[in-house]
Amino acid sequence: MSETSTSARPEWGTLIGIGLTFFAIGVTVNVLVYEHVGSAVKTIAAAGIVLSATSELAYVAVRDVGGSLLAALIAGWVVASRFGLLAASLGTRIQVGHLQRSCAALNCLDPNVGVAMQQSTPKGVITAFWWVTGALHLGWWCGTFTGVFLGNIIGDTNRLGLDAVFPALLLAIIANLLRQKPGLVAALVGGGLCAALLPIAPAGTPIILSLTGAVVALKVREPKVAPS
Amino acid sequence: MTWTIIILLAVGVASLRLLGMYGGTALVRRVPMFERLGSLIPAAVVSAVIAQLTFASGKSLTIDARSAGVAVAAVLIWRRAPIIVVILAAAATTALLRL
Repeated sequence: MSETSTSARPEWGTLIGIGLTFFAIGVTVNVLVYEHVGSAVKTIAAAGIVLSATSELAYVAVRDVGGSLLAALIAGWVVASRFGLLAASLGTRIQVGHLQRSCAALNCLDPNVGVAMQQSTPKGVITAFWWVTGALHLGWWCGTFTGVFLGNIIGDTNRLGLDAVFPALLLAIIANLLRQKPGLVAALVGGGLCAALLPIAPAGTPIILSLTGAVVALKVREPKVAPS
Repeated sequence: MTWTIIILLAVGVASLRLLGMYGGTALVRRVPMFERLGSLIPAAVVSAVIAQLTFASGKSLTIDARSAGVAVAAVLIWRRAPIIVVILAAAATTALLRL
């Protein structure tokens, strides 16, 4: 993610891409949640106050296969624990008051932290964070209302290939990190470990254990920059 | 999903985010090694999410139209294509393979 020459605002193309992706996610997730919940008000409320598509999906998935309420809740929480890790990471790079810090924490998602952490100054980090947060909220809410009220017209969203949009966006966001050796090692170990554990570990735990990738990457030395 | 469940889910998720922001950040700042760890966390965690979204089908791993869509996206990202092109190509590839 590149910065514009004058500010830390991500490029408009990046923001539009993030907005479109969250529109697609909003439609996809809320068609499923609405089907499970059966109430437009509850679906929209859950979209707003949980603000985690993967937590909602984890809850619905466990309930759909006959899991208990507690098991479904725990799955939803465990899946969301990555936001705590991302919030911890973001927290070290911002210099803001408690109110803004708390608001930022409650809005921590993969793309906004991913873009923000690539900025070079604390001001740049928080500026990029809020720009991306705005773009993803716009997309998410438009997608949520579309999914709830037009879901029956749209039908199966996977038919449109929307399930490939989110991983593609995330890959684009961390691309700059992958071009550096420590970031590449963290990603390969974290992603590989997660994939290996998916069939055997409880829902959500492979993502937490992917933290191992960051620990392993600590051993990788960053290339020295030649003096100019 | 009752209102109680929605609220419990929301409170749990919000608590994890706040715990990370305050508890996690304090820990990272106290131990110098954790500072570099903090900068590597997004790459590791987001990659895990990508792996799950690309290959998981319930509790099993699969290579399907969605994986092909993400592979096309990866090539475009490597070629430094704009993000909109990347996500549209991923969706189009996946949709076409499912026809």
